[in-house]
Amino acid sequence: MSMSGKSFRVLGERTARKDGLARVRGLERYASDYYLRNMLHARVLKSPYPHARVRSIDVSEAEGLGATVITFRDIPRVRFCPRLVSTPEATYKDWLVLTDRPLYVGEPIAAVAAESEEEAQRALESIRVEYEVLEPILDPLDSMRPGGPQLHETILLGDEEVRVEGNLACRLEVAEGDVEKGFGEADVVLEREYRTSRRYHSQLEVKSALVNPEPDGGVSIWCTTQTIHNTRLLIHEIFGIPTSRIRVYRLPLGGSFGSSIHTNLVVPIAVALALKAGRPVKLAYTREEDMHDHSSYQMIFRLKLGAKRDGRLTAGELDMVMDIGAHQVQAYPLLGCVVGWWVSLYKLPSKRYRGRAIYTNKVPSCAMRGYGNPQTTWMVESMVDELAEAVGMDPLEFRLKNYVGKGDIFWGQGPTVKSVIESCGVEEILRRGAELIGWDKRPKPGEQRGRYRRGIGLGRGFHTSSAGAAVPGTVVDYSGAILKVNEDGTIDYITAMVDQGGGSLEAHAKIIAEELGVPLEVVNIVAADTQTTLYDVCTHASRGVYAGGGAALRAAREVKGKLLELAARVLDAYPHALEIRPDEELGQGIIYARGVEGKEITIGDLTTMARHKNWGTIASAVSFRPGSCPPHFTAFFAEVEVDTSTGRVRPVRVVAGADIGTVINPDLAEGQIHGGFAMGWGLAVLEDTPYDPETGDLLCRGYITDYKVPTAADMPDVEDFKVFFVETHEPTGPFGAKGLGEAAKNPAAAAVANAISNALGVRFYELPITPDRILKALREKG
Amino acid sequence: MEINRVNTRIIPFRFEYHSPSSLGEALTILSRYGSEARILAGGTDLLVDMKQRLVEPRHLVDIKRIPELRLLREDVGGFIIGSAVKLRELERSEAIKGRLPLLHEAVSSMGSVQVRNMATLGGNLCRASPSADAAVALLALEAEVLIAGPTGAKRVPLEGFFLGPRATLLRPDEILTGVYVPYPPEGAGSAFIKLGRTSLDLAIVNIAAALKLRGGIVEHCRIAMGAVAPKPLRLRNIESLLSGRELTPEALEEALGMVEASIKPITDIRATAEYRREVSKVLLRDALKTATERCGGRRS
Ligand SMILES: Cc1cc2nc3c(=O)[nH]c(=O)nc-3n(C[C@H](O)[C@H](O)[C@H](O)COP(=O)(O)OP(=O)(O)OC[C@H]3O[C@@H](n4cnc5c(N)ncnc54)[C@H](O)[C@@H]3O)c2cc1C
Repeated sequence: MSMSGKSFRVLGERTARKDGLARVRGLERYASDYYLRNMLHARVLKSPYPHARVRSIDVSEAEGLGATVITFRDIPRVRFCPRLVSTPEATYKDWLVLTDRPLYVGEPIAAVAAESEEEAQRALESIRVEYEVLEPILDPLDSMRPGGPQLHETILLGDEEVRVEGNLACRLEVAEGDVEKGFGEADVVLEREYRTSRRYHSQLEVKSALVNPEPDGGVSIWCTTQTIHNTRLLIHEIFGIPTSRIRVYRLPLGGSFGSSIHTNLVVPIAVALALKAGRPVKLAYTREEDMHDHSSYQMIFRLKLGAKRDGRLTAGELDMVMDIGAHQVQAYPLLGCVVGWWVSLYKLPSKRYRGRAIYTNKVPSCAMRGYGNPQTTWMVESMVDELAEAVGMDPLEFRLKNYVGKGDIFWGQGPTVKSVIESCGVEEILRRGAELIGWDKRPKPGEQRGRYRRGIGLGRGFHTSSAGAAVPGTVVDYSGAILKVNEDGTIDYITAMVDQGGGSLEAHAKIIAEELGVPLEVVNIVAADTQTTLYDVCTHASRGVYAGGGAALRAAREVKGKLLELAARVLDAYPHALEIRPDEELGQGIIYARGVEGKEITIGDLTTMARHKNWGTIASAVSFRPGSCPPHFTAFFAEVEVDTSTGRVRPVRVVAGADIGTVINPDLAEGQIHGGFAMGWGLAVLEDTPYDPETGDLLCRGYITDYKVPTAADMPDVEDFKVFFVETHEPTGPFGAKGLGEAAKNPAAAAVANAISNALGVRFYELPITPDRILKALREKG
Repeated sequence: MEINRVNTRIIPFRFEYHSPSSLGEALTILSRYGSEARILAGGTDLLVDMKQRLVEPRHLVDIKRIPELRLLREDVGGFIIGSAVKLRELERSEAIKGRLPLLHEAVSSMGSVQVRNMATLGGNLCRASPSADAAVALLALEAEVLIAGPTGAKRVPLEGFFLGPRATLLRPDEILTGVYVPYPPEGAGSAFIKLGRTSLDLAIVNIAAALKLRGGIVEHCRIAMGAVAPKPLRLRNIESLLSGRELTPEALEEALGMVEASIKPITDIRATAEYRREVSKVLLRDALKTATERCGGRRS
C-alpha cells in the first residue's frame, strides 16, 4: 500500500534482490573475472608527460620477448567521442584510441599483450619512446588566455572539422527575460565565485575488457560498461567491423557512477590487440591506471542572484567555466544541463547563462553521479542561505517560496528539453525534515564559542528521471524489453540495460511481477548481450527504474494481454473479465474469471497448451521512449560538529527526505540515499585530485592511499541517519515511479557546507572544505 | 618512466620464496643471500614496496612459520611480543588491553580489519615509517627491540632503532625477533591519538602519552609523536619540563610552546607543515588531558 492510496502486491515490499547473495558472497562475476582459454594479458604504455609529441617509438625488444604490440600506427586514425548518447550534430570528437600527441599523464600511446600480466609488464618496460616534451597547461583559467599552449588544433563536430581557439572546447549561452530589469527590481543582489574540485569516481571495480576475436571477423566483448549497445556502436565506428558481428555481453558492474557512461579506452585497446594477435586478450586496469582514466568535472561558477525583501527571486546570472581535462566525453550536453540544474531549482523570472568548457592537460572529465548537479546545487544552496539571511528570512521558508514545483515548467536536461512537472513532494519533504531534525532549534550562525561547534544545514535538490522529452532533441533516450513466457509459467525478461549495482533490473522484475500478477520469483533476469536484446541507451540520468522500468511495464502489459486472450479461449470467458493472481504454493500466476468458480488456469498450463495447439510463444518486444524526464526530489538536513582546533568535521545526524514517486524497493532506495550522502560528504569536505605542477601528474600519482573517500566508519551511525519517503504518483512513470540514483546525492554536499557555515558563521566558496581551510578561515575571522 | 613501471597489482620481477621453520634456518638463508633477500612478515608494507618497485628482492624469507616469533608472553616486568605477532592478535588480547592499553589503542587504530589480520608488530617497526602508529606507542612505553643475527642476540632501546624513513639499525642478515615492552608504572594513565583524513588513514600526526601523577605532581611522563619528523620522535625535552611539576595551565602552555621547536614536519599530500605544527599542539594538549583522566585507574 503506497502513500498515494494505490495498493500494490510486490512494489514497495522489502524483497531480497536476486543477485544479492552472489554479490555479498563474492560469487558474482564481473568483467575482470572472465577468462578464456588461450587468453593473452595486456598492458598499456602511458604518457609520462602531460603534453608531448612522440618522436619515435621502438617496440622491437618487446616483440623480441614474444609480445604482441600495437601503437597508434596500428589503429584506424578515426577521431571519435567515446560517449554516444548525443545525436551527431551535438557530438564533439577529439579522441584517438592510441595517440602520438599525448595530452595528459596517462594517455595511452601503445599496448602489449603476452602470456601473463607479468610478461606483458616486462615487454611494456622494454619499449623505448622518444618524446618531444611540450609545455602543459593545468589551470582552466590560464588555459583560456591567448598565447599559451594549444591542446587541439581542430576537432570534429559531427563530421565537420572545427578549429579550437583558446582551448575552448565548446560553449553555450542561454537567456530568458530582462535580466537588467530583474536585478533593478531586487532589494538584495549577491554575487559570488564558487569553485569545486576534480574528484575520482572511486568505483570498486576498475575498468576492464576481455575480447575474443571470432572466426567471422567479429569480436565478443566482456567489459565494464553502462551501455552495451553504445559500446558496440563505437567499436563499429572505430574498426568498421559490421555491427552484427560485435557482441557485447551485459555484465554486472561493481559500481561505476558515470565512469562507464562512455566506452572506456580499455575496450578498443583490447579489441585492437585481439585482432592483431588473433587470440583472446584481457586488459584490466590497475587502480592507478583507473585513476588516470577518468575524473569528475571541476567547475568555477560566478553567480549573481537578486531577491526582493519578501524573499522572491527576481533575476539570476551565471557564468561557468569548467575544466574538462584533455578530451570531451560529454562537455557540450553538460553545458546545457548545468543551466538546467540551475534554473530548475528556484523560479527565476529572468536569467542569463554562459557556460564554457576548457581543455587542460589533465585526465579527461566525465559524468560523476549527478552530472554537474551536485556542484550546481552546492552553489545555489549556498547562496540561497546567504540571500535568506540578507533579507531576514528563514532559509527554509525562502526555499518554499521560490522552488520550482508542480505545474511549473521544468528545464531539467537543459534549454531544449522542457516539460511540466506533474508530481512534487517538495513541501512535505521540507516540512517533515525540518521537524525531524529540529530545524527551529538550530543555532544562530557564529554564535558558538567553544572548541566543538555544531551546526545544522539544509540542502535541497532534484534530478531528472531519464532524459526523455516530448520532442526528439539532441539526446538519445529509449529502452527496450523482451518478455517471453515459459512452459512452466516462469517469465524470461531480456534487456540490454546494465545494473550499475543499484538494483535497476531487480526493480524491473518487480514491475513485471506486479503487472502480470505472478510471484516475483518466476521473473527471470536473463543473461543477455547486444545480439539478443533491443537497444537501450545507457544506465545513466537516473533512468533505470523510470525508463527501463517503463519499457518492462509495457512489455508486461502486452504479454498480459496475450495471456488473457488465450486464456479466454481456453476458459470460454471474455479476456477483459479475466485477472491474474499469484499462487505462492504453485509458484506461478493463475488466470481466473472473477467470481466464477472453476474458471481458472495456471500460466504454465496455458503456455503448454499454447504449444500443443501451435498458438505460438507468448512473448512481447517493446521499445519505449519516455515522453518526459520528471524530477525526483530530495533534501538533506545534516547536523555536523566542527572541531575548531583541528578543523575536522564530523557528521552527527542526518535526516533525508525523498520524493521518488512510488517506492519500488524501500531498502535499496534507502541504500541509495546513504551512499549518496557519503559521496556528497566526500565532495564537501574531502575529495580532490590536485596536480603536481612539476610533473603535471596527479599529486597522489593514482594511489588510493592518498585519495581518501569516506568509509562507513566516517558516516553517522545508522540510527542517526533517518530516511523518509514522501510518496507521490508520477503519471508518466511505471506505476507512478520516478528515479533516485542522482538526487540521492545532489544536495548532500550543500547540506554539509551549510551546516558548517551554520556552526562557524563562516562561508566557504571552495570545495572541499578541508581542515586546513577551516583553520585558515577561523584565523582570518579572528 | 614511473607511470609505466609501478602500480599496486603486478610484481613483474622474479623472486624465490623461502619459508624457514626455525630462526636458525632463517638466519642462514639471510646470510647466504645478503642484501638480495628481504624478510616477509605480513607483507602489507613489503608487497606494496615491491609493486612500487622501491625494492626488488631476489629472495623473500617468510618468517611467519617460525614459532618463537609468534609468541606473546609475559616476562619480568613486562611483555615480550614476537615480531611476527599479528596486530589483530594484539587487538584481541585481553592481557594487552589490560596491561598495555596504550599499545592496544595504537594497534586498534591501524588500517582495516583485513590489514590487521595480516600485518605484524615487527613489520611496523622495521618499515620505519615516520608515521608508524605502533612505533609511536612503543616509544612512549620505552620498549626494547630484540635482534638476532649471525653472531648472536642483542637487546637495544627502540628509540635508537630508527635511523630515518625506511632505515633502521638492522643489518641485512639480522632479524627482529621481538619487542620487550615494560609495564608502565602502577597508576599511570595513557592516551594514543591519531589524526587522519578519514577513519582509515595513515596519520597526519599521531601521539602517544603516558603519565603518572602523585599528589598532583607529574611523576612519570613519556611522550612520542609521529609524522612530524623523519622518524617517530620521543619528546624528551617536554617530558623533563613536565616531570616533577604540577600540570597547571601555565605548565601546559609552556609545554605546548616547546612543540614547534621539537618537531620538523614537512608538507606532503596529506597535510601542510603548517597544519601539522598547529595540530601537534592540539594533540599534545588532548593526549595529556586524556592520560591525566585515565590516571590512577586500574593497574594500567
Ligand atoms: C591499507 C593499509 C593500511 C595501513 N594502515 C596503517 C596504519 O594505520 N598505521 C600504520 O602504522 N601502518 C599502516 N599500514 C602499514 C602496515 O600495514 C604496517 O606498517 C604493518 O605493521 C607492517 O607489518 P607487516 O607484517 O605487513 O610488514 P611487512 O610488509 O611484511 O614488512 C615490512 C618491512 O619490514 C621488514 N621486516 C618485517 N618483519 C621483520 C623482522 N621481524 N625483522 C626484520 N625485518 C622485518 C620487511 O622486510 C619489510 O621491509 C597500512 C598498510 C596498508 C596496506
